[in-house]
Amino acid sequence: MEKFMLIFQGGQLDNLSPEEMQAQLGKWMVWIDKLAKDGRYESGEPLIPGGKLVSGNKGQHVTDGPYTEGKEVVGGYFIIKAKDIHEAVELSKDCPDFEFGGTVQVRQVMKMDM
Amino acid sequence: MEPNPVPVLHQTIDHLFRHESGKMIAALTRLLGFAQFKTAEDIAQDTLLQALHTWKFSGIPDQPAAWLMRVARNRAIDHLRQQKVREKNNPAYAKQLASEYTLSPTVNQFFTEKEMEDSMLRMIFACCHPELPHSAQVALILKTLCGLHPREIARAFLTQEDTINKRIYRALEKLREQDKEPEVPLGSALTVRLDTVLESLYLLFNEGYLSEQPEQFIREELCADAMRLTLILTRNTYTSTPATHALLALFCFQASRFEARHTEQGSILLLEDQDRNKWNQQLIQTGNHFLHQAAEGNSLSLYHLEASIAALHTSAVDFSSTRWDLIQGLYRKRFELKPSPVIALQWAISEGYAFGPQAALDRLHSITHLAQYHLYPATLAHFYSLIGEKEKALTAYEQAITLTRSPFEKELLERKKEKVKRV
Repeated sequence: MEKFMLIFQGGQLDNLSPEEMQAQLGKWMVWIDKLAKDGRYESGEPLIPGGKLVSGNKGQHVTDGPYTEGKEVVGGYFIIKAKDIHEAVELSKDCPDFEFGGTVQVRQVMKMDM
Repeated sequence: MEPNPVPVLHQTIDHLFRHESGKMIAALTRLLGFAQFKTAEDIAQDTLLQALHTWKFSGIPDQPAAWLMRVARNRAIDHLRQQKVREKNNPAYAKQLASEYTLSPTVNQFFTEKEMEDSMLRMIFACCHPELPHSAQVALILKTLCGLHPREIARAFLTQEDTINKRIYRALEKLREQDKEPEVPLGSALTVRLDTVLESLYLLFNEGYLSEQPEQFIREELCADAMRLTLILTRNTYTSTPATHALLALFCFQASRFEARHTEQGSILLLEDQDRNKWNQQLIQTGNHFLHQAAEGNSLSLYHLEASIAALHTSAVDFSSTRWDLIQGLYRKRFELKPSPVIALQWAISEGYAFGPQAALDRLHSITHLAQYHLYPATLAHFYSLIGEKEKALTAYEQAITLTRSPFEKELLERKKEKVKRV
């Protein structure tokens, strides 16, 4: 099994009613439960919006941001286990935020063989 | 410990977002005043969004309600700190909110369980402002205290979202002019206002219990909300009157039959055909408890009479042992206290079972203003069929079928019509 990072971006959920938000949350819980039950789920964490951007040849430029379009904001990530990138992509297709314009970036974590 | 009838219908976690939204809006509106109602709503909505965006990655925390309240409290404090114009603030707390030393403690005190319940109570009274029509009061209750989106309210009332939006907008305008903050009136003003509140909660419950809305879960939700809010009234010294207890008793008895009213396919089962083992005994017991409480003092409200009728139904082991003699007497009193065509219809039905079909038909023929209500021809049809007036029964069933919008009602009426045809 290889490790993959699923990076979740965007998803326009602002106009949902409280009941719809809870239903959406419920779908995520079902998804996570399923991944966990299949031994796929490793961890997941939300990211606080905002943050800093450090740049310059000595790292001297520190700015707020990056302020990207709402639809590009990274909301959080999962680490999951999958056979290969194809399977990881298949697993990510269950993400409940697609219907609200959310996207998932699937990246394989490199294994360092000593 | 008072019995709590609401979890019998639903686990609290089921509607956590919606319920906590109501609490947050009530607390924040009281803190900020009606002039900043929009801000109160925004803070509540942003708090829920933050929860959604966080919990979907990290899971639901052990104490989700406390988590939400902490975030809402901090957002309120941030809002007050960054505020440029302070005049809009509720004058009662403006001074404490303007000073950094007292800002946080002042805001915090609004988010204790006790104060939030008090804020909910005040909000119930604010929504039931006597100058607002009942339809606006109910819509406002659903939006502010029950966390429903106008889209969802419109669906429950089988109307357009735009209609509900306008209704709520106008109602809020009124509240902005009238009240600086939501309050429970005192003294004789309370008696009058409480009547309005109970009536609106009664309508809210019936909207769920009797409406033609085909989505069962929406209807149950409206009933559960009415019960939840009435329960708050029973916990306050000033609002826990015999009429309040009687109203909650009535709700419990009615709700006890929820499961039995439909087949698994959604078809309607009349009282006569219901499996009485499916009646929720816990709700019946809770209903009896509140009916007992309602007997204190010597006031006799509409709700006392209706709860007593409902209690008689729940205590009958089968349909044939129903005490129709007592029920028709209670309906008579209920009608005399506040006449309405719908109560007259119920009275006629009870007379029909107590004294025979002709008694029902006589009463039914005296009722006017119900021509558009499908249960009127449906009831006529029922009693016509009992005295063998087949043709009249079929015509009346036809009328009833064209009058109802509910597919389940239509199906029930079709079934009854077919039965008459075969006789």
